[in-house]
Amino acid sequence: MDFRKICILIEQWVEKFNLAPKWVHLTFTLVAVYFFILIPSGWFFSYLKRKISADFQARVGPSTCGPSGLFQPMADFLKLLQKENRNEVSHTETLWLSIYSMIFYSTMPVIPLGSLVLLVDTEISAFIPFWATLVLALGTILLGLSRGAITGWYGGIRIAVQTLSGVFPAFICLLCAGVGMKSFQWSLWAKSQGFFPWSWNFLSNPFEFVAFIVFVMSGLVILAVSPLDGGFSMSDIHGNVSSFLHGRWLALYQFCRFYVFFMWSVVAVVLFLGAWVLPSWVYTLADGEHLKFIGIVELLFLLIKVFFLMLVIVWISCVTPVSRVDQITNFSWKILSPFALVALVGASVLFSWKTVGR
Amino acid sequence: MRLSILSGIFSYFGSVTSSIVSLTGSCMTVIPYLLRLGDNSKEITEGYPDPISSKIADDLPPRTRGFLFNNIDLCTGCEDCVRICPSRCIRVEAEQAGNSSKMWVSRFDIDFSKCVFCGLCVEVCHSESLVHTRQFEGAAYHLKELTEHFGRGQVTFEQREKWILLRKMVEDDEE
Amino acid sequence: MSYEYSMLELGPYHSSLPGPMRLRLNFDGETVSSCQVETGFLHRGLEKVCELHYWPGAIVYIDHLDPEAAIFGELVFCLAIENIAELIIPARARAIRIILSELARISSHLFYFVRVAKTVGSETLVHYALRDREKILDLFELLTGARFSINFLRFGGVNADVTEGFIEKVFEVCDLMQLRTKEYNDLFTFNRSFLKRTACLAPLSMDQVLNFGITGPNARASGFDFDVRKRFSYLAYDQVDFLVPLGLGQAGMIGDVHDRFTVRLREIAQSSEIIKQILDNLPDGDYINPSVNLNSVIPPGESYSRVESSRGLLGCHVVSEGLAFLNRVQFRVPSMANFEIIPHLLKKIHIEDVPIVLASLDLSVAERDR
Repeated sequence: MDFRKICILIEQWVEKFNLAPKWVHLTFTLVAVYFFILIPSGWFFSYLKRKISADFQARVGPSTCGPSGLFQPMADFLKLLQKENRNEVSHTETLWLSIYSMIFYSTMPVIPLGSLVLLVDTEISAFIPFWATLVLALGTILLGLSRGAITGWYGGIRIAVQTLSGVFPAFICLLCAGVGMKSFQWSLWAKSQGFFPWSWNFLSNPFEFVAFIVFVMSGLVILAVSPLDGGFSMSDIHGNVSSFLHGRWLALYQFCRFYVFFMWSVVAVVLFLGAWVLPSWVYTLADGEHLKFIGIVELLFLLIKVFFLMLVIVWISCVTPVSRVDQITNFSWKILSPFALVALVGASVLFSWKTVGR
Repeated sequence: MRLSILSGIFSYFGSVTSSIVSLTGSCMTVIPYLLRLGDNSKEITEGYPDPISSKIADDLPPRTRGFLFNNIDLCTGCEDCVRICPSRCIRVEAEQAGNSSKMWVSRFDIDFSKCVFCGLCVEVCHSESLVHTRQFEGAAYHLKELTEHFGRGQVTFEQREKWILLRKMVEDDEE
Repeated sequence: MSYEYSMLELGPYHSSLPGPMRLRLNFDGETVSSCQVETGFLHRGLEKVCELHYWPGAIVYIDHLDPEAAIFGELVFCLAIENIAELIIPARARAIRIILSELARISSHLFYFVRVAKTVGSETLVHYALRDREKILDLFELLTGARFSINFLRFGGVNADVTEGFIEKVFEVCDLMQLRTKEYNDLFTFNRSFLKRTACLAPLSMDQVLNFGITGPNARASGFDFDVRKRFSYLAYDQVDFLVPLGLGQAGMIGDVHDRFTVRLREIAQSSEIIKQILDNLPDGDYINPSVNLNSVIPPGESYSRVESSRGLLGCHVVSEGLAFLNRVQFRVPSMANFEIIPHLLKKIHIEDVPIVLASLDLSVAERDR
């Protein structure tokens, strides 16, 4: 068997693949997204977060594992995978873990990752990530309630209360972002924004800016990302629903927490921060063959913006103390929701004024 | 009624503005650390053992109370250090050597698993044989390795014979 | 569920507690309805051990009374035995003792910030305060030979004179602390989230201060103007000009957690002032009274001495019968009163705020249990 014959075999395989039904394409794309986008993003973000927090705190951060500590997240992940669970996993805990996996694998196709990987581009595709966050909250609540002890029970109730308070302003901001859009398709949002910051949605009018800030903060509230940890912080004293997790379940749990934060940031960037749109001269250069390459560039550009947003949140969390759950819900109901409502009303009034004026 | 609504609105917006201002202020204080400006050009922590920045024994101040060292040639076997040690970690066995002015310190063990490095034994030692080195890396795998032996060892049979002969000679001279 | 009381038992080993102690909390929903504190897990028989060694060996053990600021235990013990012997301490020794005390006070308060910041959730201040504390520990090593258990004070003075380079480094550290307190203020003290977390939380009323005998920064934060350095002046404190910070209630209520934090910040600034004044006029002379050495025996008598440690009033009662070993050494520790007030302070506190209240009291289990 020489090299030529192997190439011919591969070409034949690829041709057959092109003739395969669509679900095969989809599966392979999902696997590719999982292994080549999500896991590297998680790795890279975890490394950046630890390095940048270390810089703020005058520490070194990860430095020994790999060149300047680059392999540290993978080393931690592998270490967790090798550990066994301390107790037998009961049936309710299995239920919770299946819910977590459900969110993870079902919302992966919905995330808009550039024109190359836009798998679910329907009129309501912007609402589906919300479903993911609500189901995540449900799973965590069930896990907490199933524990029976004070720590788990109260932990579950806290998560429920916090999530509910965050969902209300988040939905309103989503509606505000979609004011003037015909439907909630990802590609429409990409078309309505440009490459430069002044053409992005969040600077189009002050109400949209307010909506952007409120959207990001309500995302932090729903997903309990620090500094608005609330129900997930200080796990030992007041009951974190996940304090019993060890080993592989802990690895899955940590990855899911990263994933929902990542998903929320991608949605925020697509809605408000210009999506994946490259300068217009790039598109004029493209013809049919180069579209895939441009799709990859768009994806990278989107990921850069997403990481930037996530790292700004990491910056704020390094500096700010953690708030109590009732302070977070207070904040969400009394400050985020009125601002979201005002933003929605203002943006709608502005839009109708513009259209009526025509 | 109107005043309370207005003041309520003002305090609401005041609290929102003060939150944003204090948050930006806090965020700005850490920027010099990120950009390594001025004082903060180097991190405080270091990987150990870092060949460039880790402290070695010679970097420490001269008074540092590290591991002890006993120069057995100067030691007189007076056992002052044994008496003053608060942790009772020194064991000394000494006897007169053949020549009556010298002491043969056959055993001088310091158990560093008990030593608190207080330095009282060094202060009390008038022949200045017991000193603090600046060594601080003394981790060992077994507890027995933490006991340092500074003594000369047990007197051999031949040596004891020699001493008996020496004493006999001195007694004969005196007679 | 809200009508039943639920119970949470923390300890003896728990990351949110200041040391080995058991805390039994009864809840009414989310708030604490009552709590029981059990201590004694760290009892090491320190007072008994002081009767079994000569006084130099006793000083080594007394270092471990409050490991974070070992000088205060040594100081109060040395003052007591010097009272019995009616010994005069040379002026230089007194100055060195004051410098060490104030440095230890700054170091102890910095570690307090570390604990409070950790419970509130701000990791940045933890590392900044630890970094500054390292400089003070390096100063201790330069002067005494050890970072924590300094074993430096002796009956009649101190063990050795200042080394070269020590005075310059102390001036540097004092100037640095002035800068750092400003940085901590910008970063943390008036941060909105910190204010929300600590304002009007667990205020210590004046009645409680007087009834329980709370002293130190906790009492001064509630407005009780009592500082042993001013009231029962010892060493050369009456020749130094300094203010005693009281709680101002900047977050809304005098004596809350925020006040206890800011009082300690201002005490650091005052300690830097004291050190600078002492160093500017450092007297020459002996560092120890020449008539005493390690073999001195304490004459018969009984004495009680007080110092202002970083946590409050630290007292020592010494009874000597003129023998080689002391007859009785007993310490009055400030953490005793702080532990007694815990059940009263923790009433109606959210469960999430319990670690913050515990950290704000500057508890030391080692001191309490001796």
